Amino acid sequence: MAGAVPPGAEVRVIGPPQELERVPLVANQRSLAWVSDRVAGIVEGRAPLWWWVAFVPSVVALLLLGAMLVYQISTGVGVWGNNHPVMWGWDIINFVWWIGIGHAGTLISAILFLLRQRWRTAVNRAAEAMTIFAVMCAGIYPALHVGRIWFDWWLFPVHNSQSLWPQFRSPLMWDVFAVSTYFTVSVLFWYMGLIPDLAVFRDRAKTKLRKFFYGLFALGWTGSNRHWSNYEKAYLILAGLSTPLVLSVHSIVSLDFAVSQLPGWHTTIFPPYFVAGAIFSGFGMVLTLLIPLRKWCHLEDIITQRHIDVMCKVTLATGSIVGYAYGMEFFIAWYSGSPYERFAFINRAMGPYAWGYWTMIFCNVVAPQLFWSRRIRSNLLVVWILSIVVNVGMWFERFVIIVISLHRDFLAANWGHYLPTWVDVCTYLGTFGLFFTCFLLFMRFLPMIAIAEVKGVTPQADPHHPLGGAKSGGHPA
Amino acid sequence: MSEGAKPYGLLAEFDTPAALMHAAEKVRDAGYRQWDVFTPYPVHGMDKAMGLKNSRVGWFSFLGGSTGFAVGNLMIWFMNRFDYPIPVGGKPLFSPFSAFPVAYELTILLGAFGALLGMLILNRLPRLHHPLLKHGRFKLATHDKFFLVIETADAKYQPEQTRQLLEAAGSARLEWVED
Amino acid sequence: MSSSPHIPNAPPLDLSRWRQVPNWLIVGGAAGALLGLVLSPRQFGYSWLLAFMFFLSLALGGLFLVLVHHLFDAGWSVPIRRFCEHLACLLAPWLAVLFLPIAVLAPTLYGWMSVADPHADHALHAKWPLFTKPAWYAVTALCFGVWWWLSSRLRYWSLRQDQTGAPECTYKMRRYAGGGIFLFALTLTLAAILWMKGLMYHWFSTMYGVYYFAASVWLTVATVYIITMVLKRTRTLEAVLHEHQFYFLGSLLFAFTVFYAYIHFSQYFIIWNANVPEETFWYVIREQGTWFYVGLVIIFGHFFVPFLALLRIDLKLTFGWMLPVCLWAWAMHYLDLAFNILPVAHPDGYPWQWAWLDLACTALIGGLLAKAWLKSLHRHPPYPLRDPRLAEAMGHVHPVASPISGGEMDETDELADAGADGRRGAS
Repeated sequence: MAGAVPPGAEVRVIGPPQELERVPLVANQRSLAWVSDRVAGIVEGRAPLWWWVAFVPSVVALLLLGAMLVYQISTGVGVWGNNHPVMWGWDIINFVWWIGIGHAGTLISAILFLLRQRWRTAVNRAAEAMTIFAVMCAGIYPALHVGRIWFDWWLFPVHNSQSLWPQFRSPLMWDVFAVSTYFTVSVLFWYMGLIPDLAVFRDRAKTKLRKFFYGLFALGWTGSNRHWSNYEKAYLILAGLSTPLVLSVHSIVSLDFAVSQLPGWHTTIFPPYFVAGAIFSGFGMVLTLLIPLRKWCHLEDIITQRHIDVMCKVTLATGSIVGYAYGMEFFIAWYSGSPYERFAFINRAMGPYAWGYWTMIFCNVVAPQLFWSRRIRSNLLVVWILSIVVNVGMWFERFVIIVISLHRDFLAANWGHYLPTWVDVCTYLGTFGLFFTCFLLFMRFLPMIAIAEVKGVTPQADPHHPLGGAKSGGHPA
Repeated sequence: MSEGAKPYGLLAEFDTPAALMHAAEKVRDAGYRQWDVFTPYPVHGMDKAMGLKNSRVGWFSFLGGSTGFAVGNLMIWFMNRFDYPIPVGGKPLFSPFSAFPVAYELTILLGAFGALLGMLILNRLPRLHHPLLKHGRFKLATHDKFFLVIETADAKYQPEQTRQLLEAAGSARLEWVED
Repeated sequence: MSSSPHIPNAPPLDLSRWRQVPNWLIVGGAAGALLGLVLSPRQFGYSWLLAFMFFLSLALGGLFLVLVHHLFDAGWSVPIRRFCEHLACLLAPWLAVLFLPIAVLAPTLYGWMSVADPHADHALHAKWPLFTKPAWYAVTALCFGVWWWLSSRLRYWSLRQDQTGAPECTYKMRRYAGGGIFLFALTLTLAAILWMKGLMYHWFSTMYGVYYFAASVWLTVATVYIITMVLKRTRTLEAVLHEHQFYFLGSLLFAFTVFYAYIHFSQYFIIWNANVPEETFWYVIREQGTWFYVGLVIIFGHFFVPFLALLRIDLKLTFGWMLPVCLWAWAMHYLDLAFNILPVAHPDGYPWQWAWLDLACTALIGGLLAKAWLKSLHRHPPYPLRDPRLAEAMGHVHPVASPISGGEMDETDELADAGADGRRGAS
């Protein structure tokens, strides 16, 4: 078998032309020591002014959340706008919205690890933290939504006073297991990633208190290669387990809707479509958080323009997948010939909440297409605004799915209109307080960048590279 | 080195990962057993240079995962079919389909615990006291230096020969570590 | 490549014994297909459709791999890209021509085309104007048109880069890929709906396009693995391949094994759980007779067997292990398509009496496409000679951390200056 090149012939190997050369992951040839110093610097110095400016309102919002929860629990779910026929309102919208945001963190830490997208090292720690805090915000809603929160334990397989067990054919039970597993595994994964970096902080600690706590949680990590060997295997396995986990969590959330018979909810594409949407919104949030942080924390050499660029592309890709799903839903509603399906979708596009539908289409399908342009991707202000547009759009997606599908179902006598109450709005604002308070505390006390992993992607870390001490190598001439 | 107490080992410092890897290959070939290298990040190819075998963490995870899957299915069968059957919506009392989501989540949950605990067990962690952690210079192992330690407990350990081996391997700095 | 399973000094694989295989397939297949056409044109039509959709999977999958290569700016897949381009170029004119029997026999294959009064049948009436003959033929033509344009443009610029080495070609291909991925998604979905789902036009599922896509890419990755392996053994690609290509292909196969299972489980599970008669009937038919056992074989054979077979890293590199796994993937995908297509004609179970005709059609189409593909392979350089990412794909030390540097595979690497050196591809 021979093509134009005879087998065994010398292959001319030339590096790519200048314009196609890959951009380094850490800019400006920073040294290993610089990475430790820079990341630890965020934690070691006094808190900068901007941190307090962000922290104080976050805590105020957190207090607002507490007040709303006390009010809701002491009064009842009637303080929310949920009412017949829209029994799932802002609470479930916000539950799905927050948990969706979390998905980007796991995507970055697990799926991109398996895909060997090594740029992930710069953003994975912050994104995983975002995941954990977002899942915390999400978890509040279903716990309260049951109405009598003191019976929440009935959701767990505990024998209750009537000798009853949970009913495992209900998708809401699957949710309990999916979300709690997701939270637990995300924390495990995050903590395991933190161990070597906590050791870095331990070895730099100046005060006794820091030395004690960082030392305690670093578990005596020494950086031994015998340890690294097991550690990397465990990391690979956790990534391998988290990948189907992240797919399953939002798939199971989608099953809450899809296994019903309600037009607009019952459609087979829901699981992958929800997962794509979750990753889409999550990358929106990662960009929203990291674009300001890289500037304020002077991390431009670690979270480089290339990282922003790649994340914009992921947003574009997932936004397009979501667009495909919207199209398919509409198409099959028409194709099925079912009058209820058709009505549900016409009602979305032209009913009383059409503004919500078109906001969703604009924010999720149209706006991200701007990311095709390199100029847009390199304009950080525009990217930042678009990242917020994405999150608004994904909020409206859940609004469309939940409120618009529920407010007009099979019988016209059942129709109604839904409006949130001030408690709905304040609870939602309050969850931002919880999220940002946790995030700001995280970046003050823990390494916001995965130090060991970022070191590993620099050329001087590669024993095969001249900068890593190799006597030959690099591009052959 | 103080004459009385037997030191923990000989600590050799290197500036680059390649230098360390060459040294590791030499120490491996010299037949030492109780030695280790310490790096700020995992150096790829080092397992081979040290002659380490594939990590066994996978078995812990596999054990956890299979337990999770079995427990999930059995739990649902026991609760919804055996102990207190509740017919709902004409669906079978137990079906591998409707039991799948929960059993699957438990597979992952216990598999993940297996991976983390397996890593800690195999590494004998947490261990909050270690002779090396008391050594001043060793703090750089989490910063930007690369270390190789041969323990005095090693059967092949000979103060002079071991020292010469590491010097020949190009160590920039050799020090004793107190036990 | 110390752990590579092949022996570097073994003589190149001699394929001359196999050279006649496509011809035999064509001759044998043509004889069988003709006999079937005479005996039962309708059955011939279904057998042909099954074989056609099977090979369409392969060509569309090839197109997809080329598209994502450009979209992701991937490095590792450069050496295998050229023959994927050839796979994609089978779409037109070859598969377009091979579609002709289906186009001619369509009125006997697709029940809706022979409904006397389309407006009396609600499911059909609702699909007006898509489910009319003119629209059906027009969409078919559109799909082949798009595929022809995309696949030929992508190969054109790729071949051009072999001569010029200009970065401009890379940019061109990326631009085609950018728009192409949307067209690809649209046309693949339309083809799956009109040619396969339309066989039972009362049924609907939003997942169906994704379902055909997932299965197609799975089959293609398995095929690409075999082709890469053979081309390595014949020394055609030996010089530019690295172990990583096999590892990544094995991982992709694993990923799509899981992805397909996820998609099919979701579709089945949602329909099963909601229990709406308009949807469940499709699966109810597929639980009659031997179709029930075919369904079980698909659950276990399409998912569990390859899943377990591909779990270990080292096995993904063992040719003796991967070859049967990939061939198994062929059998499973074929069975899966039969599960989709044939119950419309044989609701009682798989028609064993016509198995020979299924095989004959598959042999004929397969033989023709193999010849066409081999011709392309021989006519053009076997890999993109001057692709800017070729050095990276070969595993040369690269100034920037890439998917190829680092990870589990590096455990097998020696240091650049300690023996097997970085220029491993050059020898």
